[in-house]
Amino acid sequence: MIERILSRNFRKTLRAIFRDISTYQKREENERLKLDEARIMRDLSESIIPHPTNQPLEEDYLVAAIDGSGSPDFVVINDIRIHLFTSATVVFHTGTRDGRLFHEINPVELSEALGTGQPRIDFHWHTGVKEDTLTKVAETIAHFYPVKFEDLILPFFRDWLGQDDLNSFENLGETEYGPYVNELSDLRSLLSRAPALTNAAIHDELRKVFEYDAARRLIESKFKPRYLLLDGSLSIFTHLMRKYPTMPSGFILRHLLELARKKGVIVCAISKNHTVPAAHQIARAVRKKSGGSKWFCFLPSKREPGGELHIYENRTYIPPILAVSYLFSFSDENRPSRVDFDRVWWEKHVLDTDSETMKEKAKLVFRDLEFMSRDARWYGYPVPLGVAHERCVLRRDDLRMAREIARGLIRNVGLDSGKLDPLREDYNM
Amino acid sequence: MAVDKDQLGEAFGIVSVGNQTVLEIMGSNRDICVGELFMIYSRRDDHERVFFFRVLELQNYIRQVDDLPRVAGTMLVEGDAYLAGIERNMLLAVGGRLLGYAERDTPTGGWVFRSPRRLPDHLAPVFRPLPGTSDEIVAQLLGPQVEGDIYIGDFQVGEAALNVPVKIPARFLPMHLGIFGSTGAGKSNLMMVLIKSLIDNNMEVLARHGDGQRVSAFCIDPHDEFARGIDRYGIQSIVEAMDRATRSQVIGEFYYLTTHKQATPREIKRYAKEIRILWSEIQPRDLYSIMDFTPQMAAFIDTVYSQKREEWIATILEMDEENAGGVPAGTLRAVQRRLRFVERSPIFQKTGVSVMPLIFEAMETGRVLVVNTSLMSDMEQFLLTTIVTRTLSDLRRAVKSSGTLADFDRQAQLRLPTGFFRRIVQKARAFYGIGSGDDAPVRDPRDLPVLLITVEEAPSILNPELMKGQSVFKDISRQGRKFNIGLLVVSQQVSVLDNVILSQMNTEINLRLGNEREIQACIENASVNISGFDDEFRVMGRGEGIVTASYRELPLPVRVPLFDHIFERDRHRYRQSSGRPTRKHVI
Repeated sequence: MIERILSRNFRKTLRAIFRDISTYQKREENERLKLDEARIMRDLSESIIPHPTNQPLEEDYLVAAIDGSGSPDFVVINDIRIHLFTSATVVFHTGTRDGRLFHEINPVELSEALGTGQPRIDFHWHTGVKEDTLTKVAETIAHFYPVKFEDLILPFFRDWLGQDDLNSFENLGETEYGPYVNELSDLRSLLSRAPALTNAAIHDELRKVFEYDAARRLIESKFKPRYLLLDGSLSIFTHLMRKYPTMPSGFILRHLLELARKKGVIVCAISKNHTVPAAHQIARAVRKKSGGSKWFCFLPSKREPGGELHIYENRTYIPPILAVSYLFSFSDENRPSRVDFDRVWWEKHVLDTDSETMKEKAKLVFRDLEFMSRDARWYGYPVPLGVAHERCVLRRDDLRMAREIARGLIRNVGLDSGKLDPLREDYNM
Repeated sequence: MAVDKDQLGEAFGIVSVGNQTVLEIMGSNRDICVGELFMIYSRRDDHERVFFFRVLELQNYIRQVDDLPRVAGTMLVEGDAYLAGIERNMLLAVGGRLLGYAERDTPTGGWVFRSPRRLPDHLAPVFRPLPGTSDEIVAQLLGPQVEGDIYIGDFQVGEAALNVPVKIPARFLPMHLGIFGSTGAGKSNLMMVLIKSLIDNNMEVLARHGDGQRVSAFCIDPHDEFARGIDRYGIQSIVEAMDRATRSQVIGEFYYLTTHKQATPREIKRYAKEIRILWSEIQPRDLYSIMDFTPQMAAFIDTVYSQKREEWIATILEMDEENAGGVPAGTLRAVQRRLRFVERSPIFQKTGVSVMPLIFEAMETGRVLVVNTSLMSDMEQFLLTTIVTRTLSDLRRAVKSSGTLADFDRQAQLRLPTGFFRRIVQKARAFYGIGSGDDAPVRDPRDLPVLLITVEEAPSILNPELMKGQSVFKDISRQGRKFNIGLLVVSQQVSVLDNVILSQMNTEINLRLGNEREIQACIENASVNISGFDDEFRVMGRGEGIVTASYRELPLPVRVPLFDHIFERDRHRYRQSSGRPTRKHVI
């Protein structure tokens, strides 16, 4: 292969692709950005005045973070796949008043409060039989996120319809969702993207649910964090016609966010991979305008006055359904990241008819986010998320050891599995 | 009975990787220094062992931070950066050498120390010994590794020292002792501590009615500081602290030898003798030991010596070319030129009263002599040391090769200048004979006091050039143990010393050294393996050293206390004439 990679043709083809992308960007993104630039500079972006390092906060608070990892093919026995999931929950105290800046709450104490060891590990397995897959995925979701089905389902509809008093399936039957109520019978019925349920999709779905459960446990625990940071976005994919989530994780997320609102916890989902077109051009312009390296930029949806930005027209996932998104950066060294907030919370605490007032409210949140993002290990990224990532990540050595243990247990229980090494190793590949 | 781990000191870390020689320990973020000593508790296969580990290198380690330079750079560039909750992840990676281990001896149940031929258990706990907590257990675990008769300092564990005295057994002194250290390393203080320890040892032997090994020492003091002391106290303070009976037994009538008694302070003068050596007491090989002679010159000197015996120096110096018996004029002049310093010296005299009989008597009665050589030339000092060494060696050799006192007389007359022997013969027969008649058997030299002779500025006379010839020191270095005579070689350099002396030396006190070459030479010539200790030599402080001995498995880090401190601590002991219980050692 290397001779093909080193060939002139390889470069020629790749160059052509890049030229196409460049043309696309010039034609599409840059042109669209020109339409948005004035609005971004005027109404949407703002620099952050950092909180002085040596000055105590008016009130110290807790910040929690959750991250997860996993392996979709931890063990493969013929058509049976065993998935491995990990999640880590960490809680930090800002500690500005006791001189212990961002110190971690003792993991042992945290484990006791959450009712699970930290980091947490769990498994899922299914066969290649279609019904078996769906049944087992539903069972695992129920195991991972043990909340009554009705309680799990309704928050999405309450938030989407804006009906806080929608408390039962009967109430739901009286809404535009009436025709679908009978189809929403159990978790299995929520797996409506069944044809697209590849092993990778199943893994992503279960991993999300596993992390959401960690968040639920934390919110319900004795700890009352001001912020709960999640790694990723608050994206929910919905049926085009039915307008409700295609997978259980969408409902579960809304359950979680409603719970957070009730407990006064601000959920921030932070994505390093922002997927926002022309983000680096926006970053450059905002930095130039503000003269600082710490800034944020609101990404309005169609619902906001002035509508969505032209640069992400026809991109349904920016902002996600029932969420609002901001682009931000806290360091010149870092590319911009995206943070999603629960729209229901945001409308109550940030939204304002006056754009300056709205920016001031948002600034308070970003000032806190920036303050928790100064750890030299991950400068510009919130330290609790950095630590949670370190705790949950499955490294090659971890997986090798886990598989070694699995091999021993397979022999121990007399499972007729054949070899467990990757199949290509049989052929020295 | 299992070791009480609390006594081992403060829990410091866990063994991570390594082998039976080199180990790495992951430890807590404590203020550790190179040279520190840790104890590792192991129960592999249910065998309880305590391993001793010496820190040779340290590295900061932050768990879960792969790229520390990048983090440090961020801290520097981004003025508001912090490291959240990092304290518990801040660790020390400690590299070092496994020195050996202590385990229970099966028959006796006591602790024995062994070379590092085993490895501590997986993830074995590591303890940092603490003064006041770990002294007793460390002393028990090390046992014979630190025990002996002659105290030289305290067992050092980093920058602190435990209350574990490190001693050298007197019986190993005839196998030679080396003290190596650069200027300012603490050699003079060590010598004073050593002299005090020799005096203390001899006092204790006397208190036990002779049970034990007395040690005599001929201690060259090139800066005249031992008697008066470097700071407040000196050997004179010990002498004055003694009651009359103790002083009479241990010090005798004198301990201080000097070239100019009149210039000596009054209080010391009472115990001083002037150094005077007669030409007749000098033998040709004394000179061969300290300076170069061509074969022609040596042949000429030997010829004159065989004819004139004790008159050989005067004969040569008075000779002119005409009555030189055919000796080339150049040879005669060269020999005369070399002998001129003897002629000019106030110490070496053609006639008069020699101090040699007194030195002999002192050395054979277990006494310590401090020899002020500050006003001597190098050659005078070397010749004095050589004459004393050779004379004592010849006498012990005569004893060793005799069955009776009559034999001894014959053997001694063959070896020693007639005049000198006549003056000491009665005393010699008393010292060496078991009884007094000619038929009386002689003692084994090993039952006589150990004679320890200082060779200061050793490279000048123990260099390979001089050791090639008929050097007295070559014989002593090889055969001294037979005659109970040991050399105390003091030098700033190891690299220039002759291999014969280095290979025969079985105890070394290695203080701070001047340069890389000396450090390497010191490591290569140590009696036990101290490879890897390079860094430690580089950071050694004044008075700190590593004691290596062929009869011990463990290289012993030692802190030599200030003489003044130990004198103040012990001064009351010199007032008791006998039967003193040994006081517990306190730093």
